[in-house]
Amino acid sequence: MFQFINTILIGITAGAIYSLMAISIVLVWRSTRVINFAQAGMALLSTYIGYEAMVHFNSFWIALPVAMIGGAAVSAFIELVFMRLLVKRSSTGPIAAVAPIIATLGLLGLIKGVISTVWGGADVRLVGPVTNVGYSIGDKTLAFSPLKLLTLVTVVVLMLLLTVLFQRSSIGLSLRASAYSPEIARLSGVKVDFIRTLGWSLAGTSGAVAGMFQTINGNGAFSPESIEFSLLLITGFIAAVIGGLESLVGAVVGGLVLGLVISFVLMYVSGSLFFIAPFVILLIVLIIKPQGIVGTKVARRA
Amino acid sequence: MHKLKSSRNLGFFVVFGFILFLVGNRVDELRVYQGATIAVYVVAISSIILLTGYSGQVSLGHGALLAIGAYSAAVARDNFHAPVVLTFVIAVLAAAIGGALLGVAAARLSGPYLAGTTLALAIGLPSLANQFPIFGGEQGIFFDVGVPPASLGEDFTQYKWFFWIGALAALVSTWLVANILRSRYGRNWRAGRSNETAASLSGINVAGSKILAFTISAGIAGLAGALLSMTIGVVSPSAFPLALSFSLLTGAVLSGVSTLSGVMIGAVTLVAIPEIADVVATRLGVSETLTTNLPGLMVSSLLILTVLFVPNGPIEQHRTRHARKAAKEKN
Amino acid sequence: MKAMNRRKLFTVCATIAVASLAITAIPAQAAEVGVSSTEIKLGMTLPMTGTASPGYNKIPAAVKAYFDYVNANGGINGRKLTLVVKDDQYVPTLAVAKTNELILKDKVMALLAPLGTANNKAVAAVVNPGARKIPVLFVNTGFSGFADKKKYPTTFSILPSYIMEAKIMAEYIKDNFAGKKLGLLYQDDDFGDDALAGFKQAGLNFDIKVAYASGSQGDKVSPGGWITKLQASGAEVVILFGVSSATAAALGTAAVMKYAPQWILGSVGGDATTIKASGVPAGVLYNAVGASFAPATTDTADEYVKLFQEIYLKANPTETFDNNVMVGMNTAFVTAQAIKAAGKNPTRATLIAAIEKSGKSFASAALVPLNFSTTSHVGYNGYWFGKYSPTGDLKPAGGVYTVYTTDSGTGAVVKSTYKRPAMPAKGLPN
Repeated sequence: MFQFINTILIGITAGAIYSLMAISIVLVWRSTRVINFAQAGMALLSTYIGYEAMVHFNSFWIALPVAMIGGAAVSAFIELVFMRLLVKRSSTGPIAAVAPIIATLGLLGLIKGVISTVWGGADVRLVGPVTNVGYSIGDKTLAFSPLKLLTLVTVVVLMLLLTVLFQRSSIGLSLRASAYSPEIARLSGVKVDFIRTLGWSLAGTSGAVAGMFQTINGNGAFSPESIEFSLLLITGFIAAVIGGLESLVGAVVGGLVLGLVISFVLMYVSGSLFFIAPFVILLIVLIIKPQGIVGTKVARRA
Repeated sequence: MHKLKSSRNLGFFVVFGFILFLVGNRVDELRVYQGATIAVYVVAISSIILLTGYSGQVSLGHGALLAIGAYSAAVARDNFHAPVVLTFVIAVLAAAIGGALLGVAAARLSGPYLAGTTLALAIGLPSLANQFPIFGGEQGIFFDVGVPPASLGEDFTQYKWFFWIGALAALVSTWLVANILRSRYGRNWRAGRSNETAASLSGINVAGSKILAFTISAGIAGLAGALLSMTIGVVSPSAFPLALSFSLLTGAVLSGVSTLSGVMIGAVTLVAIPEIADVVATRLGVSETLTTNLPGLMVSSLLILTVLFVPNGPIEQHRTRHARKAAKEKN
Repeated sequence: MKAMNRRKLFTVCATIAVASLAITAIPAQAAEVGVSSTEIKLGMTLPMTGTASPGYNKIPAAVKAYFDYVNANGGINGRKLTLVVKDDQYVPTLAVAKTNELILKDKVMALLAPLGTANNKAVAAVVNPGARKIPVLFVNTGFSGFADKKKYPTTFSILPSYIMEAKIMAEYIKDNFAGKKLGLLYQDDDFGDDALAGFKQAGLNFDIKVAYASGSQGDKVSPGGWITKLQASGAEVVILFGVSSATAAALGTAAVMKYAPQWILGSVGGDATTIKASGVPAGVLYNAVGASFAPATTDTADEYVKLFQEIYLKANPTETFDNNVMVGMNTAFVTAQAIKAAGKNPTRATLIAAIEKSGKSFASAALVPLNFSTTSHVGYNGYWFGKYSPTGDLKPAGGVYTVYTTDSGTGAVVKSTYKRPAMPAKGLPN
């Protein structure tokens, strides 16, 4: 029973981080209709930026916002310089449909290469602001620590901020409009280009938080080849698909479902299935409920 | 007419094979080794071209299909002592079965969904090797095709043997792919790629045709996997990193995803990149980390630049420009 | 028209293929590959980047520092020693490719200290230096299998085997921690199998054994699981018989989970610099037991330590002189003697013959003897045990090295009577 509770706690924390990654994917998808496979690479780069801030200021509370701003800047830069050119140039020919996907994959390779060149391939470390030693109940230690609590609180706060932004402000409305119908949005005075860059920036911010918390929730060590970031790469995408790709709430639900399932598989089936379990879930979702758990009934064709 | 064309092609492949044979005898061992690697890439890239360029299904995870072929060949060889030729057949069949299963799922998906699914597979599948002892965990299992027959003489090196096997496999598989692409199936794929609705209205079973493309492509990828593990001698999860799928995709895009005849461009480039990177790094005297990462950076940059500026490959680009020029002159 | 075009394209492709294959002509053969009138070229593969690289990536600089020292003193019979280093990221497939490059492209005379059990096995199976008659000097692994002269005719081991280490460790445990509950963490491959064989041979039983997967994946995801299992078993003495990254991960996680048994670190993973660099506080290491065959790196009264430290720090002023550096320089020192013993115009064959003939009498910094002969390619065969100081330096108990030796078979563990001969003048091969 105790192990069961611990498994749930581990799953929820991990799932919260996957949710952030899924939100990044959804935001980019909604603003430019591209699945950004470089998202995990951008999260990794943001985490390195956070690491640099940590080295200089020795405070996580400075490092986190620096990573978030860095993530937003990197993301905006990529959208402005790279995606616009891509959309303009590769709209015809037999591979027009898959060109953006291949390009984001190339971007992932490029970002990783740059990181490896600048920071080297060896592990660097990031230490969380509070301890990861679990709370105790009697003589037993829960798999839930001040650090995990902080993770959950941060994710919830970020979620609320995004929700407010989307529901209450005209920015959120414009983003929705430009995503669903860029031409009409443009005609009705929405600055579509600006809104797209904004969508990417928000995605970069969300990814940065995911990267920072994924790292400090592990053993703190990370490198360009970190398995944690390969995991973010696929869990982010899969959680977004489970959630239907369009909705932020869906992304969170998808992330939590994925976190829990992976946690239970690792604990009760086998410890080396951390990549296979999410893949199987993806296949099941795509075959049984292709519109996602939350999504509306739209065929999976883009 | 059709038959005539295909036999003419056969003649070309035979002549090309003979040239390779002559060249293989004249260059040093390093070039022979690189020639074997080029052969592996030719097979792998032609498999992607068939799938992505002709049937329009994107696969970011071809490394996973190569892994299926490599592991099944190695297990057949290592555990059941199957003859070498049979191990290659097993590799093709096993990967084709895997591809058919994937194809059934893939036929329902397209674009980003298929891309993500294959990407997840490429990251996930090799880690399965840690789950079953027969695959030898991280350390992997050996795949030994044996020494060259004694009748070829004392000086006949191991790498020349790999080169012969690889080049023969590449010639045969490329010839097969070229003929499949010109057959009814190839036309169906292209029809489905450009307009699914129109294709199905004209009586083409689009889903079935897509699954068939995935199956054949996977079978060829399986062959490439077995050849790859032949040249490196050991099959382990680390032989199939995401970077392999990247490289192959880059090779395919460089070749021109929809032009099989460009396949050599991609394969030669992939083998040449580490060489060029090495020369550049030594010339410029760059740091250790940049030297290590330069090939990866070059692959990624080439991929991005190609997608941006020659999205359909250099050959198609050249052809289009030529055609445009010709049209202008006519006017 | 279209068919014509296609044929033209094929011709273009064929030309590219032929041209790319024919760029280089076969060079004229020198007296021996890798040996010129001014230079002897050696090649090394090891992880310079990636998860497994910390600690090991200091070895090339250590070897080069010693080679440069020899070169500055006239080289070996007028030839300079040079080292070509390739990064294999601790991945067998890369090790194979990089070794191929060393042999076919860089044309090295011999391979020097290639690292890792799995990597060396893959290289032996595919590149097959044995059949090519290329010497593999002093593989940087203690896997006992490489002592098989029939299977690996040109390969020489230098480190004591993992079987020997496990047997000696078992002896130490019986002497110092009899009756305590024992735990073991080991790598799930040949490295770990060797250790298990040694412990079994010594009759040591464990209350809990935890295996971890080798390579870049295992040690990052599951240290929590390892520690949970060890903790649950109530083990009071725990042996960490793994690579540095796994050892560091285990110690770091145990500290967080407030689990503090008596740690015993194997020689592979017991590298204090790496452990500290990965964020484990030195205090965690304090009082852990460790093993070595070389003198303690803080023992500057030792003539070898003094000289090696001087040479290394002169070439790498900002680095720390640690055990990886010490062992690397010692390997370079033994290599230089082997090349000198191979004659005025050394060849691959004379190099191998020289080590077999006189390797036993090569000088070395180690506190155990070298055992090379025409029948054995095994180098060192023993260890001393000590404890880590509060600053994380391994020091012998009471300042006295008690060295034990044994073999990889059924031989007993005995207290060594070996007296290390004095260092040759200036630490140069004589």
